[in-house]
Amino acid sequence: MQESSVFWLRVAAVLYSVGLLHTLFTLLSRRTQLLSVALSSFVVAVILHLVSLVEMTRSLGHLPVENFYQSVSLCAFFIALVFLFVWWRYQFVPLALFLFPLVFLMTLVGSMQSPVAGWTSPRLREGWLFAHVLAVLTGYAALLLTAGASFFYLIRERQLKNKQPVKLFEHLPPLGTLDKIITNSLGITFLFITSGVIAGLTWAFIESGTRWISDARIHVALITWVLCLVAVFLRNTAGWRGRKAAFLSLALMGCAAVTWAAHIGLRPLLMER
Amino acid sequence: MKLFITGLNHRTAPVEVREKVAFPAANIEEALRGLLAQSGVEEGVILSTCNRVEVAVAGECDGKAVVEKFLAVARNVPETQISEHLYHYQGREAIRHLFRVASSLDSMVVGEPQILGQLKDAYTAAKNSGTLNGFLDGLLTRAFSVAKRVRSETEIGQNAVSVSYAAVELAREIFGKLQGHAILLIGAGKMSELAARHLHRAGAERIFVTNRTRERADQVAAIFNGTVVPYENFQASLTQVDIVITSSGAPHYILTRDQMKSVLQQRKNKPIFLIDIAVPRNIDPAINKLDNAFLYDIDDLGRVVEQNRVSRQQEAEEAERIIEEEVEKMVARLREREVAPTIVRLQEQLEAIRSGELDRLRGRLGNLTTQQEEALDALTKGMMAKVAHGAIAEVRKQASRGDATVIDTIRRIFRIPE
Repeated sequence: MQESSVFWLRVAAVLYSVGLLHTLFTLLSRRTQLLSVALSSFVVAVILHLVSLVEMTRSLGHLPVENFYQSVSLCAFFIALVFLFVWWRYQFVPLALFLFPLVFLMTLVGSMQSPVAGWTSPRLREGWLFAHVLAVLTGYAALLLTAGASFFYLIRERQLKNKQPVKLFEHLPPLGTLDKIITNSLGITFLFITSGVIAGLTWAFIESGTRWISDARIHVALITWVLCLVAVFLRNTAGWRGRKAAFLSLALMGCAAVTWAAHIGLRPLLMER
Repeated sequence: MKLFITGLNHRTAPVEVREKVAFPAANIEEALRGLLAQSGVEEGVILSTCNRVEVAVAGECDGKAVVEKFLAVARNVPETQISEHLYHYQGREAIRHLFRVASSLDSMVVGEPQILGQLKDAYTAAKNSGTLNGFLDGLLTRAFSVAKRVRSETEIGQNAVSVSYAAVELAREIFGKLQGHAILLIGAGKMSELAARHLHRAGAERIFVTNRTRERADQVAAIFNGTVVPYENFQASLTQVDIVITSSGAPHYILTRDQMKSVLQQRKNKPIFLIDIAVPRNIDPAINKLDNAFLYDIDDLGRVVEQNRVSRQQEAEEAERIIEEEVEKMVARLREREVAPTIVRLQEQLEAIRSGELDRLRGRLGNLTTQQEEALDALTKGMMAKVAHGAIAEVRKQASRGDATVIDTIRRIFRIPE
């Protein structure tokens, strides 16, 4: 019974991932064609998520809140329900940009309670980790560009507000250009960091079963990802531009630096086997 | 060949005099032909703009007297009326003046780009009229290159020095390209119209106009093919525009901080540039403290213009250094040109010696094959070229320094006639 509930949960996670694709597509192309597909997929995912929860409840004899994975899955389900209510009642569609990736990732984490078979080959193991590192580093490179543009934005904005040009910075690009760089590079950051987080979580899940959840490095990485999600959401829906957005990007860069520092010892982990 | 420049400009003559002396564009070519008809004038060019009238002539004449008389006759102005306003440059000073004019260092607004175009027009007119030959032609072409060098190596033309153009530059610093951005004119005064005209030319597409008097709003909107917004609810349009220019005669703020805060929320914090050129001011200065709102009043714009003027002045000092360097090069080149006849005569003299000596020896050498003839020819020519090389190089070097003694010495050594 429990195996079947995990299966439905994993299918739900796959369907939620369409929502994540919608978010990425919207951020990178500024178009929302995927919204209707993502919404339909999301509704089906919520139903399967419910099926999974009902099966697990029947199996356990009570609500599945015994451990971290079950709690995360249940929480993701409630968030999904709240979103569907808000969408039905207020048509607040932009919220999807934030909630779709969040619900997907939480459901993915929730579905990682039952270990799967180990790596079929060492090459796949190394390749998977390599893909994770590559995605995260590309994301950080884009984030560095975002932070750099944000820094210069703050300088340029101060100059224009104070009406005092500083010779050293007079050749900086216009604010509008810097803002475009920040928006685009933040979208790319989110794309790669999300891919990196998904690859990293699944790698850790296959590698060490459920032990990974107590790893502080993963907590830091997830906090960085959530902050990145908040940043893109506020920028795209709440109109966070200018100073606030620039400061948020710099904070995100700081968080990413901490995550980077926490992961410096990753290579020895790979060599353990 | 001597070079003279005679003229008047905004510093030496009031507009009443300048307008009398200025040549209508349609009459320039005829005037140029008249100039060339003057005794001793071999080349000539006339530059006539709203701020200056200058005549450059090259030839063996008293350029100052010739041009003064020419201007009086051609423009039908008594010589006594203009002579006190005229300046005269000759030789090296004339070259420096020409380079300074082309580089916009002598302009009313230092660094303005129009003068170079006007000088090019004057050059084309002279070329078409056949009043340019090698000397002035080369000098003017060099002046264009110098102006280009000054523009590329200094930032003399970089910053706006008028209030309305400063507004355009600030808008560019905020938005980058202005294409697709909309402007709202609140109050349709002349100055705001001028600023809007600059912004429109720079790419801003949609223009909204609001004014207490509807008729004036209609007039201004018609200029830009814009839209008139009723004055009573102009605030509703603030969500659609990116640049606002206010010049209304209202005695109080027509846009407060709270109103703008609400507008910014509706705009999802899209930046807005507010230019308040009204006195008393139309926009609450506290708005500048709001994120994504950039407010400049008339004094702020004035300060920007002043800073730019100072900056241009600093750049002008660097430009003067470049011009001095270019004048030096040009003068050296002209001096080298002056000794060209001496060098040609020296080469002719040596060639005469060579061919004379060859002819003298030919009888003793007997019959030579073609190959032997060619070898002998090449040998003697090479020897002569080597003998002449040192002398020619020294003549050129000394000539470029303006020292004629070595030239005299070489003339004497090789018996070259004056």
